[in-house]
Amino acid sequence: MSAGGTRGRGWPWRRAAASAAPLPRAPADGAIQIYHVSKSYSAGNFALRDVSLRFGKGEFVFLTGPSGAGKTTLLRLLFAAEQPSEGQIVVLGRNIARLRPSAIPALRRRVGVVFQDFKLLERRTVEENVALALEVVGTPRREARAKVFAVLKQLGLQHRRYHHPLSLSGGEQQRVALARALVNEPEILLADEPTGNLDPTLTLEIMDLIASAATRGTTVIVATHELEIVRRYGKRAVRLEAGCVTEDSLTGRVHA
Amino acid sequence: MSRAWVRLGYFLRTSLAGLRTSPVTTAVSVATIGVSLVLVGAFALLLANMEELLGRFGDDLQVTAYLEDGLAPEQIQELVRIAHTVEGVQGARIVSKQEALERFRTGVGRGSALLEGLGENPLPASIELTLAPEHRSAAGMARVVGSLQGLSGVRELASGQDWVEGYLRALALLRGIGWGLGLILALATLLIVANTIRLAVFARRDELEILALVGASRAFVNGPFLLEGVLQGALAGALALGLLYALFRLVLPGFEFGLELLLGGVAPRFFAPQEMAALLAGGAALGLVGSAAALAGGGRA
Repeated sequence: MSAGGTRGRGWPWRRAAASAAPLPRAPADGAIQIYHVSKSYSAGNFALRDVSLRFGKGEFVFLTGPSGAGKTTLLRLLFAAEQPSEGQIVVLGRNIARLRPSAIPALRRRVGVVFQDFKLLERRTVEENVALALEVVGTPRREARAKVFAVLKQLGLQHRRYHHPLSLSGGEQQRVALARALVNEPEILLADEPTGNLDPTLTLEIMDLIASAATRGTTVIVATHELEIVRRYGKRAVRLEAGCVTEDSLTGRVHA
Repeated sequence: MSRAWVRLGYFLRTSLAGLRTSPVTTAVSVATIGVSLVLVGAFALLLANMEELLGRFGDDLQVTAYLEDGLAPEQIQELVRIAHTVEGVQGARIVSKQEALERFRTGVGRGSALLEGLGENPLPASIELTLAPEHRSAAGMARVVGSLQGLSGVRELASGQDWVEGYLRALALLRGIGWGLGLILALATLLIVANTIRLAVFARRDELEILALVGASRAFVNGPFLLEGVLQGALAGALALGLLYALFRLVLPGFEFGLELLLGGVAPRFFAPQEMAALLAGGAALGLVGSAAALAGGGRA
């Protein structure tokens, strides 16, 4: 395996020769490598333009920038909800641009995602919502219940497991969404404005829980426009503006 | 517990929940498939009974050679000998003029007084030829009739050939109508099932989005919908069987005369167990194909 330093299975398993340019070597613990990625939905209209970034294993990164900067687009590319128009994205050793549709589910089981609007099923209980992530991988019910209980306890929600989402507060709903994202012990956790609907107290509560995932070795990427949070945690922050990286606190680079 | 069982359990729970969440749509779908299956099933039952009659009637199929008057017994014996050499003839029995008259008398019952005024016996003697089982068909009869035609001493040859041919034609026509009806109803049913499943997909689009997010495979997402179609179809099959049985038991006796005309006094029978299983399987298959069509037609969220 040469370019990309990918692990084990996957990229570049096939059509490596078709690659336009050799990819630079990534760090051994690289969870995500993004090379000159652009995304446009219509000709000349870029949501992302020539973005190159690298996130290591267990790293905690903030994606910042105003609305429409491309934060959500970048996150969507990372869990293969979309394909880049140009460039390469390697997530956990899999090249998103070349991923067959049938291979997407396997990748998503290794990536947890949390959204601003929680995306919970109203008709299902908290326990059932969280168990959904385990059902898709065929975890036996008893084992699934134990895992769900453990993660709910960790997030302080075990007493709410038989409640329905609509009977919970916003902070509790986001914790349920976080439990669903974490129950499979993902290698990457993506959070898109996870505290956008929450008051300041709940925001800190949720952010602490997300940050604790990084301490257990999960790569965490949080998209937010709330600079107060970014300053409080003092972690790496990548700023996007109009689809371009304008600042990266890790490299200290400030782009024009 | 293996992962396959876990998955099957999930499919079953989800599809049953799907049936419960939209009871009206499900009921309409099940009723539509059920009515289609009742119509097709009723046709199949009628055809099965008519075919059965043909099979039983075949046992009685025979060719009768009516003889000219005044033949000497040796001449009749010679005709019997010739008849035995014809392929397909199993047995031959001579019916004398007197025996024919007796049979006629018995046949007409009290009207036999009419015969008193006749004087001379007008009925001819005959030779009744029974056919070997493999020749008991319209073609077999035609072959025997053809071989005996024109023999000296034979006045006329009669067989059930025309009747059998007519019955076969009617059967073929009914079978054609049955197939055509079945095809049209199957298409209509498929559209209804596909629509129901499409509605179910739409109603659960939020869930499907989340399933895709947590890494559900296409098979995992589609499985419950396919099973929902199968369950609807099987349920409709059971409903159709129940309805058909009720019709068979309660309504059919009221049409005794028509039945006698169609089935010639043979007691009608209901479906055999394997035929019932086929109807259930047919319903399930309709449900499966209908939901597969819905999912293939962009029903997936």
